Amino acid sequence: MVILTIIALLLGILYGISGLDLAAVSLFTSHTDGILYILMFSVGISIGLHKGILNSLRQYHVKIFIIPFGIITASFASGILCGIITGYPLNLSTAITSGMGWYSLTGATVGNLAGAEPGSVAFLSNLMREIFSFLIIPYLAVKCNNYTCIAPAGATSEDTTLPIIMKYTNEETVVLSVLNGIICSAFVPVLISLSYHFPLFQ
Amino acid sequence: MDILIIMCLGILVGNRIFPKEKKKLNEYLQLSCTLLLIFSMGVMLGQRDSFFEDLASLGITSFIFFLIPTALSILAVYFLTKRFLQNKKN
Repeated sequence: MVILTIIALLLGILYGISGLDLAAVSLFTSHTDGILYILMFSVGISIGLHKGILNSLRQYHVKIFIIPFGIITASFASGILCGIITGYPLNLSTAITSGMGWYSLTGATVGNLAGAEPGSVAFLSNLMREIFSFLIIPYLAVKCNNYTCIAPAGATSEDTTLPIIMKYTNEETVVLSVLNGIICSAFVPVLISLSYHFPLFQ
Repeated sequence: MDILIIMCLGILVGNRIFPKEKKKLNEYLQLSCTLLLIFSMGVMLGQRDSFFEDLASLGITSFIFFLIPTALSILAVYFLTKRFLQNKKN
């Protein structure tokens, strides 16, 4: 997945630099809104397919919301901080950090909403978060507690970073990691859209 | 906001009528759409006249947007779980 998205980005950049204007490519690049709608519908289907989440909610009760709450709040607050540091408008900076590591969706969505440059920042920063998670999780398992291993992974804690969380933590943390990934992933598109259109930030 | 409405419709379809055995097909659709959008973003980037000059600043900005949310998430989850969840080690 990582390699495919990087190849897609590089191919797009090369095509843009080359100055070519192929009708088939223009058809896609000029209809990104429609592609984004299909993507969001498909993401919704994925969330809807997680039928077991209600049982887990009953089992873990409010406990399952502690970790996603920490990640979502911290990511949103850091969006404000990043906006102040980089000079990006707050609606844009909070939209970028709302990705919580889901680099493909965040890059594509922010790129479509705000343009290629913020979209690239969203893509690269969230990609860095996912890659960095692989390096820091073993350290966090030893120095902090098992639950903290879920924090850098963010929305990816249910898929790409799950194997490394499984390796360095226990069964309970793995269950909470999957649930955290589902909750954060469901919130990513919502938070990007809400942040970007939040009137106080514009 | 239209994005959210469409996503909610997707959740409804996924929860009520979408067959679970077609999950893989839905994942392929997601991957295809994502790759097309990333490719389009690359095209828009490459078409910028100042692309090569912007490249270094994009890297630094991306690093800031990675470092701060990751560090704050770790701190927030560490203190919240220390306070509200039992602290277990391997």
